Amino acid sequence: MGASQTRAEHQYQDLADKTGFSFEQIKNLYQRFQQLSGNEETISRANLDSIPALANNPIRKQIIGAFFDKRNQHQDEVGSCDQIGFEQFLMVMSHFRPPNLRTTDEEKEAMRKEKLRFLFNMHDSDNDGTITLAEYRKVVEELMSKSGEIGQETAKAIADAAMLEVASINVPNMGPEEFYEGITFEHFEEILKGLEMESRMHIRFLDVDTSTMRCGKSQS
Amino acid sequence: MAWFTIPVENLLCRCLCIFITVWLTLLIVFIMVPAVLGISFGIRRLYMRTLLKIFEWATSRMEMGAKEKNQQLYKPCNGIIAKKPPTSLQQDLKELRGSASCPRSEPQFEMADIFFFCRRGVESILDDEVTKRFSSQELDSWNLLTRSNYNVRHISLRLTVIWGLGVLVRYGVLLPLRVTLAVTGIGLLVVLTTLLGFLPNRELRFSLSEKIHLMCHRICVRALTAIITYHNRENKPKNGGICVSNHTTPIDVIILANDGCYSMVGQVHGGLMGMIQRAMVKSSPHIWFERSEVKDRHLVAKRLSDHVADKTKQPILIFPEGTCINNTSVMMFKKGSFEIACTVYPVAIKYDPRFGDAFWNSSKFGMVYYLLRMMSSWAVVCSVWYLPPMNREEGEDAVQFANRVKAAIAAQGGLVDLIWDGGLKRAKVKDAFKEEQQNLYSKVLLGEQDERDLGDDQH
Repeated sequence: MGASQTRAEHQYQDLADKTGFSFEQIKNLYQRFQQLSGNEETISRANLDSIPALANNPIRKQIIGAFFDKRNQHQDEVGSCDQIGFEQFLMVMSHFRPPNLRTTDEEKEAMRKEKLRFLFNMHDSDNDGTITLAEYRKVVEELMSKSGEIGQETAKAIADAAMLEVASINVPNMGPEEFYEGITFEHFEEILKGLEMESRMHIRFLDVDTSTMRCGKSQS
Repeated sequence: MAWFTIPVENLLCRCLCIFITVWLTLLIVFIMVPAVLGISFGIRRLYMRTLLKIFEWATSRMEMGAKEKNQQLYKPCNGIIAKKPPTSLQQDLKELRGSASCPRSEPQFEMADIFFFCRRGVESILDDEVTKRFSSQELDSWNLLTRSNYNVRHISLRLTVIWGLGVLVRYGVLLPLRVTLAVTGIGLLVVLTTLLGFLPNRELRFSLSEKIHLMCHRICVRALTAIITYHNRENKPKNGGICVSNHTTPIDVIILANDGCYSMVGQVHGGLMGMIQRAMVKSSPHIWFERSEVKDRHLVAKRLSDHVADKTKQPILIFPEGTCINNTSVMMFKKGSFEIACTVYPVAIKYDPRFGDAFWNSSKFGMVYYLLRMMSSWAVVCSVWYLPPMNREEGEDAVQFANRVKAAIAAQGGLVDLIWDGGLKRAKVKDAFKEEQQNLYSKVLLGEQDERDLGDDQH
């Protein structure tokens, strides 16, 4: 009983250092991981697909893809995997951690860059480092309805206009013959410079102080 | 030394005989006779109160142990993330766009919108209302079962001893006793109902069959050490109606049948279950379907309607969720049973999780393992509320009626009322939901589009 606990603690400590989550948060997340995986060691795409609340989301495929994308693991690998373990799950979740009071400005900048990178990877589906017109168009189409309000033509027009705007901001002196390859990460960063991301792209993970709070299911 | 050993053997034999006699007498007097007659000595409730005291003591010991080591007792929490109160898509997008420095840029808006959906998506992955209903509920205090303990580090020696005693009692004393009772109960049911099938007189057969069913179910209830509290018994289902209830475990049937006679509905099984079904149907009208018939909804509806129309037949017992849910919520009711024109008697069943987890997680373990788990828990404690009968109102269709009944059951039992289908345990969600959100987002953009068009026209 004692030995196995310290091994798990050791492992959690490693994970806590790597991802920045606290011990309690990692334990909660591990329980969630177990729920999603059906008590297996790894999660597959089908496990995430079966979450009903996620079904509402127009970019569900991209979000699920992000979990299986090796680029989000910060290990300089590319490609995607079929199954992810708990560590990879945590690494992806760590992109959504908010900065706390102790985070320095440098760290905040690094976190912002990480979040931008995450979003960039979601658009850039062929891993070539640029978001081409086709890729961007695909994302816009996913966001919008394939029928009814906005037809595919309008989606295309919006995507085209968007790319044009990006091009005009980043490469202002582009001649008429030049072809805008695609949005690179630097251009992406430039576009979203003004957007305050720290509060937009984070999720408040509960870190409960269990000695003072009784947080069980109170209605049972 | 021969003269020495023989008396000892005699003594041993005699002791054993006395022990067995006493044991059987106790069994018959305290369990079988009350079951047959339908009375209760209150032994189980005394047992329940004692257990509760022991559990509280165990939890306080663990808390003390944790405090000594200056660590925190891990208490399972209700959620991983703090969710913002639900706002509409329009409001959230406005908020998102408001923070952009450049007010006109189109691409900035589009790209920023991704954040919103991305965050929402990850939030659902972390904590959604449905997936957690398909695994067992988590407890605040420890009930001396290793199945439900998260604080393995804080168990002192004293606690371990008590836990060991608990294991001995549960597996050595309670489990064999319960298995014997269960076998007796089922055996009696099969034998007596078959015998009853031979009786020519219909009236006699009916009244006797009721008594036999009740008796056997009472024995089964004692086999599980189920401590049931029935509320509002004046609302008990009457003949010619349908009784609907939330579904947590197959034991629900025994719990309800302990207090009244119902006609069961279900598929024909093979093996032991099949034998029990065939025996039961000889003495009272249950509705068993062949596998092939289940798919034919009209046939099913017709058989149910015919049964309900005959006022001498017992009320039908149906579980409209279609699958077992973990007793913290009520999921979508299938509308089939609500299309039949008759009175619906809703019943809410709520299990007390402190004594044993009654939820049957059919993807985790099979029926036999589940029954063994149930019989080696401390007890099954539950409350049954009979709700006032409901009828379909004018202009209400089956789905609305089903939702109304579901809301009543959820409110009474203190369960969360969800619109999701319990079938999601095994199947995937339809794409229709995704399309709804896409439409909504498109509408928002179209609004923006109109503004931009107006602006462009002026050039």
